[in-house]
Amino acid sequence: MSEKTLTYEQINDELLGMLERPHPSYFLLLLGFLLALGLFVLSLAIQIDVGIGYSGISHPIGWGVYITNFVFWIGIGHAGTLISAVFYLTRAPWRTAIYRGAEAMTVFAVMTAGLFPLLHTGRPWLAYWLIPYPNQRMLWVNFKSPLVWDVFAVSTYLTVSVLFFMIGLIPDIAIMRDDAILKGKKLKALIFTPLSFFWRGTNHQWLHYMRAYLIYAAIATPLVFSVHSIVSWDFAMATLPGWHTTIFAPYFVAGAIFSGLAMVMTVLIPMRVVFGLEKYITDHVVQSVCRVILFTSIIVGYAYFSEFFIGWYSGDVFERSIFYFRPFGAMKEWTLLGDQSIGFPQVAFFLMVFCNVIAPIPLWRWKIRNNIMAVWIICGLINVGMWFERFNIVGSSLQRDFLPSAWGSYWPTIIEFGITVGSFGFFFTLFTLFSKSLPAMAIMEMKESAHPPMRKETHG
Amino acid sequence: MKKGLSRRNLFKYMGVGSATVIAAGCEQKPEKLIPLLVPPDEFSYMPHTSYHYMTTCQECAAGCGMMVTAREGRAQKAEGNPNHPLNQGTLCARGQASLQSLYNPSRLPFPQQSGKQLSWADAETEFTNQVKAANGQIAYLGKPETGSAKPFIEEWLKAAGGGNHVQFEVITQANQREANEIAFGRSDSALYAFDKAKYLLNFSTDFMETWGSVIENTRKFTEMHVFQDGTKNKFVHVGPHISLTGAKADEWVMVKPGNEGLMALSLAYEVRKNKGTHAFLAAYLAPYAPEKVAGQIGTSVEKIKKVAEEFGNSNPSLAVGGGNMIATAHGTETLVAINILNAVAGNLGKTLEFSSESSSAAHSHEDLMNLIQDLNDGKIKVLIVDNVNPVYALPKAAGFAEAMKKAFVVSLSSVQDETTHFANLVLPTLTPYESWGDASPRAGIRSICQPVMAPVNAFNAKAKEDILLGVNTQLNTGQFAGIVTYQDYLKKAWTEIQKGTGNSDPFDSFWINTLTEGGLFTNPARSPVSLRTDVVQTKIQISELEGKGLALLPSPSIMMGDGSGAKNPWLQEIPDPMTQIVWDSWMEINPETAKQSGIKDRDVVTVKTAQGSVNLTAYFHFGIHRDAIAIPLGQGHTRSGMAADNYGVNVLDLLPAKLDSKSGNFVWVSTKAEILPTSQKSFTVNVDGNARQIGRGIAAAATIESLKHSEHHEGHKRPVEFYPDRKETAGYYEPYRWGMTIDLDRCNGCSACVAACYAENNLSVVGKERTGLGREMSWIRLDRYIEGYGDDFEVRFSPITCQQCSNAGCETVCPVYATYHNSEGLNVQAYNRCVGTRYCSNNCAYKVRRFNWFNYEFPEPLNQQLNSTIGTRSVGVMEKCTFCVQRIKQSQTDARALGRDVQDGEVITACQQTCPTQAITFGNLMDDQSEVSKKAKRSEKEVEHRDRQYEILPGLNYKPAITYLKKVNLREVKSLGHSESSHG
Repeated sequence: MSEKTLTYEQINDELLGMLERPHPSYFLLLLGFLLALGLFVLSLAIQIDVGIGYSGISHPIGWGVYITNFVFWIGIGHAGTLISAVFYLTRAPWRTAIYRGAEAMTVFAVMTAGLFPLLHTGRPWLAYWLIPYPNQRMLWVNFKSPLVWDVFAVSTYLTVSVLFFMIGLIPDIAIMRDDAILKGKKLKALIFTPLSFFWRGTNHQWLHYMRAYLIYAAIATPLVFSVHSIVSWDFAMATLPGWHTTIFAPYFVAGAIFSGLAMVMTVLIPMRVVFGLEKYITDHVVQSVCRVILFTSIIVGYAYFSEFFIGWYSGDVFERSIFYFRPFGAMKEWTLLGDQSIGFPQVAFFLMVFCNVIAPIPLWRWKIRNNIMAVWIICGLINVGMWFERFNIVGSSLQRDFLPSAWGSYWPTIIEFGITVGSFGFFFTLFTLFSKSLPAMAIMEMKESAHPPMRKETHG
Repeated sequence: MKKGLSRRNLFKYMGVGSATVIAAGCEQKPEKLIPLLVPPDEFSYMPHTSYHYMTTCQECAAGCGMMVTAREGRAQKAEGNPNHPLNQGTLCARGQASLQSLYNPSRLPFPQQSGKQLSWADAETEFTNQVKAANGQIAYLGKPETGSAKPFIEEWLKAAGGGNHVQFEVITQANQREANEIAFGRSDSALYAFDKAKYLLNFSTDFMETWGSVIENTRKFTEMHVFQDGTKNKFVHVGPHISLTGAKADEWVMVKPGNEGLMALSLAYEVRKNKGTHAFLAAYLAPYAPEKVAGQIGTSVEKIKKVAEEFGNSNPSLAVGGGNMIATAHGTETLVAINILNAVAGNLGKTLEFSSESSSAAHSHEDLMNLIQDLNDGKIKVLIVDNVNPVYALPKAAGFAEAMKKAFVVSLSSVQDETTHFANLVLPTLTPYESWGDASPRAGIRSICQPVMAPVNAFNAKAKEDILLGVNTQLNTGQFAGIVTYQDYLKKAWTEIQKGTGNSDPFDSFWINTLTEGGLFTNPARSPVSLRTDVVQTKIQISELEGKGLALLPSPSIMMGDGSGAKNPWLQEIPDPMTQIVWDSWMEINPETAKQSGIKDRDVVTVKTAQGSVNLTAYFHFGIHRDAIAIPLGQGHTRSGMAADNYGVNVLDLLPAKLDSKSGNFVWVSTKAEILPTSQKSFTVNVDGNARQIGRGIAAAATIESLKHSEHHEGHKRPVEFYPDRKETAGYYEPYRWGMTIDLDRCNGCSACVAACYAENNLSVVGKERTGLGREMSWIRLDRYIEGYGDDFEVRFSPITCQQCSNAGCETVCPVYATYHNSEGLNVQAYNRCVGTRYCSNNCAYKVRRFNWFNYEFPEPLNQQLNSTIGTRSVGVMEKCTFCVQRIKQSQTDARALGRDVQDGEVITACQQTCPTQAITFGNLMDDQSEVSKKAKRSEKEVEHRDRQYEILPGLNYKPAITYLKKVNLREVKSLGHSESSHG
């Protein structure tokens, strides 16, 4: 194993080296993301000022790109928790190199996601009414509503993710603190000292720390499955054809992990290239992630198939109609003259199937999995595909539900494009800042897997 | 002294300052904070109290009675006058929207001359001077007047030195009157007893849209055609085009445009042959034997024979003809032929009646053509145009716009339009809501028109009669002695009327009675008529239409009427029931024809005639002859205000100014039009998502046959449930559970309910673009579905509003309880609590919830119409139908004051109230004796409703409070692909 050749010193130097004064191109990148973030803020400001009518959401499509983005970003978050908690508990050694980045991704993704349910409401300034708080007006929330479950699920998820992230950071921040003191950087030392919780690295502290980490991993693990299940119930609890299915919870969880891992790869592969981290994010790590991606891709593909099969098998006209509509558009009998048409929902459907089921197929080959460029492209496609999967679910069912007279169509406006693109700006701005301010790789755990100093090679 | 502010000065300034503040405060009137302990007397104003005033609707010539509800001194809702024999309490969409004629922002704000503002004194002086100078060369062009206004205008003209009184309306019945003269020697309109007919044959008439007394026709037709005693009477539509009226037909006999007359004579031939009456017609009808003319008519001999047999054997039957589609160059002859058909079938005096009191209203388009001639010849110095819009409503070819430039034009008009734009002197008049008047649309009906509120303060307008009286005073003619305002004149006229009736009450009490009743209504005897023998001199000549291409059928629009509806935003926003198109014109074309010429649905095409060309969106319609296109009237305004201008096209621009030689009526079907494809992209907005219901049984129908075998019907049995019904839950449905039934066999799709809902519930108008996005705010919508294919198609209407489900999808998903089921079974919406997640709308299977995407505005002074018993909604809030909860609460308050529960029939929702077919029933489902319970619940006694009851989407188990009653068809129309099923 290549890590064995690394020394503690080397790990310290190289990973802390990532936090050195950045190259000007970093600022250029950051500027790009900041511009996108600016677009986000601007679009949002216009929409809140004038009204939600600035979006293309309408009647009967009450949810559009915003809820698509919400589900997409929550899904992205799941990979982080999966890698840091589930793979920790299952002792998957290849997680060490990527879990910190993935965890940061979780926090930022949940932060991004959390914005959308607020900003998609008609009166975002009253969104706090969804929180049950005692008030003199004796108003309470409706615990039967999946949206209230969402509030609990997402806020719990954000809290746990942030705590888990911070706990994981403690020993590393201590290293940064020591480094800052060593180099005489007083401000950094001042910031890092409380953040490191005065970590000294004693045996006693390590003992408690590892226990705490294990407990948090155990707490976070069910969230990997519960949060996206609850998000899926936003749809599954409704009566709409195409939404009202029992498969949604596992289907969404698999999809979340699938998209999250793809996003991890999308982000970490450029980092590996730019910072030259081949020694840490090894081919083995990439291979392992790809295997999980492949596995979840199969689950997602099966879910697609199963939805169609059950749609047909149920014999329900509404179910059958919607599952005919998604790939093929209007049924012949629907139109006045019996002609067919293919529109945007159908394009979204084929993009979804292609990106999520067909594009990952090459990953079966070892050679492709080892080709960092190919993996990056496939993961990018999966990101696109998973966005369209959510769009397909949100959009198409609302377009063709029970009463044909009320059918409609949906096309996002420039404001929605702005907010969608801007949400990526928000996410990547945070991630870019993170990559230069905190160690994007767990120094402590990398050391754990490295060969301890002053110990003979044979012990390893 | 020290510099700066001394202590003494500081106090000075403070004193002045506080005095100013106090003085400024005194400017405002003190508001009453304590409620009135002693209520004001009967005739003074009480806040938050509804006052009802009877008046007459003047949106069209029908003269329906109206009851206007005024609160806070403003007219807020128009309803039908329940005493009025024509409409019996109901109103059409245009009647409902007449409120917007009152508060229309395009009303004229002040008198003006050549665009400059004038004072009333100057304006009247100018008017007087012009009248003086004209020296009797005056023409007065106004709407057809049936009441006291007619003698008033004629008297005024006489006083002013002479002049013509020309009456003009676009859609007339002049050819009807002429045909009656030829056939029966009666020069007035017939009374059609639709309700007594056992079989109705309609020759292209749009009698449920714009022809005649629409509401009365609709009501009587419904009485005849509705399913009762296990059967229903047949209605056959003969003509080249199916509009809303034809959509109710049980059979469609498609004939070539302009051949209805031949068809009528051919039927008459058969009927006469079978009955053997009217021997003098034998020779006359011989050339019209079905074998000889079927080819020309474009139908089969068998079909004619079959219809003739059914028509002749039904006693009585009724054949109706009229309207635009038969108004060809030989339109009068066509109507004579229909009169002959009625005569030979023995319908005279049974279903086709004439009043003993003749009310001849002789006016035709010929008068107007003569006026144009006179104007061009310089015989008219002053032209007074009174609330008509000939510049818009006449074909350009008639040359009115050019001719009116040759005279000094005084326009008496309440709204700006194309004609006021060209007028020299524009004098704003009051609307019927603000003025006195009367109307006598037919013998026996004298309907009063009284001001229901003070004139709208935004407009400095005067009653037109008062303007004329002012001029008369200045002219010093000595006429109208003792008459200061038109009210005096009207009272004088009614004194005479009182004498005529033999009523011996003091006039004041008679007058108060009249105002309370809304008029004076008698039912004059019918006088017998018979077919004149010289009718045989009338020969039908089928003349070819001008030009080449497809026959152009200008169809009247149920919303726009003659075009005056276009200025009222509600009428623009409410979809045309047949096409579901809003804010636009369109061209109906048969898909077969379109296929041949390579035109696709929603393509923009150029329609070209010798008179001009327009660009329009093609709309595929099975119900139009393959050699014809139809374009609705009423759009394409250029100077009628923001709601009307630049929407659609004016089909009159395509027509030549040709008159029917017999009646002087305008020839509507006179030309063919060429259709040329264009590369333009269509921006025509229709609100229906899909024209077909694909076998989902939403607008369900049953055949008579299937209802006979009712034992096969399971009814709507509920599945066994885990949860107890709400009925068993304490606090619910005691004593009310409000419910509704909607009878689709009655509903004709007229959309009056939609207009009533806009008026009652302060619904916002969002415009064409936003409707295109699906953001219209209509709480009740009239779904229209097409069944079948080609000529054998069926149109089904179904009004869809909130179903007030017991197990609603919307309620469980709302995170903040903004929507919940109240104890009376209403699915209520707390607007203040709504955050706007729109989850409720997503989960509503009926998609009846409407979201406020923006803060919608009600442009001044349209905001004065807002119903003050409920609020308006702001941005980000979901809104919906709550069965007019404000009316329910009002009735409950009233009932509580009497110490009892609300009784059946006390709560009437706005949609139910206005429905001309009485398709909607509302009431308490917990009361077994209520009308709605009888209709909604299955019982062996209620034969009419049993087996027709169904719920929309029963499979979802939402338990809606609205029960629909299936439409009953005499035939079975095959839907494409799917079989009919009402189970979801």
